[in-house]
Amino acid sequence: MRLDRLFTLAFFLGPALLIVITFFFLPLLLTVYTSFTNMRNWNVDAYLFDIVGLYNYKVLIHFAKYDPMFRNALITTVVFVAVTLVVNVLGGLTLAILTFFLEERISIHYRLLWLLPRMTPVAVYSLLWYYFFHSDAIGTLNRILLLAGVIEKPINWGSYMLPLGTWSILIFVNGLVGVSFGMIVFYSAIRSIPWEYFAAARVDGASNLTIVRRIIVPMIRWHLLFVTVWQMLSLLTTYTHIFLLYEWGVVDRTWGQTWSLLVFNLAFLPVGELRQGLAAAAATVLVVIGAILGLITLRILGFQRMITKPRGDI
Amino acid sequence: MGFQTNRTTIYIAAAIVLIVIIAAAVYIATRQAPETVETETGTAAETTPATKTEAEAVELKPLTGNVREDIVNIARFLSANGVTEAKYRVHGSGDPNSIMRVYGIVEAAARLNKILEDEGVNFKIVIEDIKFSANADEPAKVFQQSFPLKQEADIIAVSYRWISTFAKEGYLLDITDYANAYMGTELEDYYDSLWSSVTYKGRIYALPQDTEARPLYILKPVMECLGYDAWDIAKKIDSGEYTWKDVMRIAKEAVDNGCSEWGVIHRKGSAHPDLVQFYYAFGGEFTGSNPDKLYLNLEALYKWLAVEYALARNGLTPENMLEWDWAKQIHPTIVSAKTAFDIGGTWYWTEWQTKKYYTDPQTGEQRGLTPEEVKERFAYSLFPAGEPGKKPVTLSQPFVWMISANAGKLNPKYDDLKEAYHRIAFLLILKANDPDLVAIHSIVSAHIPIREKAAQLMDDQQFVNKLAQGNLDMFISDEARQAFVDIAKKTAHPINIEFLKSVTYMLEYTHIPPLHPSYQPLAEFFKDAVDFVLKGQMTPEEATNYVVQKIQADPELAETIEIVGSIPTGWEISP
Repeated sequence: MRLDRLFTLAFFLGPALLIVITFFFLPLLLTVYTSFTNMRNWNVDAYLFDIVGLYNYKVLIHFAKYDPMFRNALITTVVFVAVTLVVNVLGGLTLAILTFFLEERISIHYRLLWLLPRMTPVAVYSLLWYYFFHSDAIGTLNRILLLAGVIEKPINWGSYMLPLGTWSILIFVNGLVGVSFGMIVFYSAIRSIPWEYFAAARVDGASNLTIVRRIIVPMIRWHLLFVTVWQMLSLLTTYTHIFLLYEWGVVDRTWGQTWSLLVFNLAFLPVGELRQGLAAAAATVLVVIGAILGLITLRILGFQRMITKPRGDI
Repeated sequence: MGFQTNRTTIYIAAAIVLIVIIAAAVYIATRQAPETVETETGTAAETTPATKTEAEAVELKPLTGNVREDIVNIARFLSANGVTEAKYRVHGSGDPNSIMRVYGIVEAAARLNKILEDEGVNFKIVIEDIKFSANADEPAKVFQQSFPLKQEADIIAVSYRWISTFAKEGYLLDITDYANAYMGTELEDYYDSLWSSVTYKGRIYALPQDTEARPLYILKPVMECLGYDAWDIAKKIDSGEYTWKDVMRIAKEAVDNGCSEWGVIHRKGSAHPDLVQFYYAFGGEFTGSNPDKLYLNLEALYKWLAVEYALARNGLTPENMLEWDWAKQIHPTIVSAKTAFDIGGTWYWTEWQTKKYYTDPQTGEQRGLTPEEVKERFAYSLFPAGEPGKKPVTLSQPFVWMISANAGKLNPKYDDLKEAYHRIAFLLILKANDPDLVAIHSIVSAHIPIREKAAQLMDDQQFVNKLAQGNLDMFISDEARQAFVDIAKKTAHPINIEFLKSVTYMLEYTHIPPLHPSYQPLAEFFKDAVDFVLKGQMTPEEATNYVVQKIQADPELAETIEIVGSIPTGWEISP
């Protein structure tokens, strides 16, 4: 019986566990290890066993103390993650509810439209916004406003009312990609609510707003929890769109960098010396912050209650 | 029950982790094995059995300085060891006309093979993979990431500035001894100033491939509109009579009088190398008494940033200059004479002919300028002195041929025979710099030749006429010849050659930023500082302090960069 049970567990858990270990746990261990080495310029042979203790973390603290760009990156990360998360979750929820109340044949096209940013390759999508927010008259937004007579000369949106201009672009571009995720999860969750609830509510004379407040939101609260945590962690680590907007000069160089982009820039970008040990230390800090934030969110939103077995007290 | 389940899960997880770790360890441990097997038996088709006596009979002699003797000796040595073919990979980069940075090696291999054929040696050099990138730093970045995996190209053509980082990590072949053997022969006529660009801590790690100067282009139509003679201005700049203050004054006149839209246009994206000329023009130096340190002169940096600040505040240079698009904004603005001055490079001269930056006002067609049109449109000078008493300057950052420390690694018996493979790689880059190949590269890409014999060849009318007609019979390799036919027809024009000859004097004024690992991060800070002052986000003083702050925020840079001088008080510049 015990062996049977072991076998069953291994059979079902094994593949998932293997994937988690190979693609998450081992890289994480490697990253943490690298952060204690002097690894640089990809010279694995020379630096793999060149242990420098907490040196890289000390350098990070030194940066945080004295480098203004570094502090800006921290502030930008907090603002970017917080605001984009709200946009993603609330935007996704709003879209899901709106499309739920629409007729299915219209709603499906509408939802498809919102998926476009996610389906478009990152470079193409970012290029689109590069030209949209371009600081000269060749930029679409400037062009439209110039033609409409709203502005007299092109505006450099990335530098506009710093750091608001840059933050707005970052949040707008990433928010547009993010809402579709929440929309899909929430929409399917709402669709799975038994129809009788809505029918009964309607018979009782409930308005759409009451239905949303009293039926939809309480019934999909676990989905809300999941999307919030998931999106928060991915926003904390995302850098692809931000990288391109930063490199192409759409956003300001002082305020357009988030922590994850900083990690990337330390490890890959500079011409000359590349400091993978330092980048690994910054990445480790990011993982720790992500884990703490994730745990806090799960606790606040009551994850424990979600996974307790139903008591069956009908 | 719940407790038991948890423990069981943990046991299973632990077992799986253990299995994965063991599997990974076994994989890593056995990874070397196939390579060893391959080295011993590899490419069996190319190796011929050789008896021990044969191998001993042909020794690898020291290099003599004579290419024919040396390649024959190396080839006979390898052949006696059962190797009849050596493969190499090359990766170069640059503007579209600079393909000699890969085809030079292809042609060099063909020339060495021809010698071997003539001498009846059964050996062949094969360039099996050539790659050319438009992004100038691409080969270096790829090299840096692929070296530890032993996947890198054997020879790369990139800017000299990567040498310090690569040499420090042991990624580059130290060619000092090889080069010394050829100093009295093939390398004798190389320009002396260039050796500093390939020497790091007293050792030579590369051969120069080309060099350039960065003239200040003066738009003749704009000067005519103002009633000035562009060449007269150029002369006054070269003599030091006109400094940046005068250039700004003329630029402002041009904009105020509607003769041009902008006063001064320059590069986008980075401060190195074009804008660093400001630093030198105000008397800044990066070297000092301690060769291990990089020196930063605050006064020169401040004055540079003050000029950029004044240019943007007076509407002479766009505030978002560093974000401009090369093909859609920068070059079209210059070739359409919408600016009075441009801080550019010698290679612009032919780029304006081969790329369609110009919109013909009559036909509306986008096209390249003809050599005659370029000549009619542009005068040029050195980069102006920063202020009276200082000298005009220019800046070069030679492209160089670097050889991987593992060059020839794809070939059989590498561990035993690598000295021979390394020597072949060296002879490849040496032959790629044959005078005719250097001259062709200089003419078609508007770079300045690295050796005197190539410069002399550019005076040879017969040679130039052949090029212009697309008659490239000097090439042995069909592949290389084909690659150059169209480019040569378009660019081998007497006007272009005259231009090159007329800018070669600039090398006497040139500065080569030092080979120091901290220079690149510093150049990145310069870029930020320039961007801030152009946009008006910081004053020159704040931007100078920003650079200092960035250096001090990084313990490694703070240790290697020595800050000298201070921000001058009461110094101002305006048009």
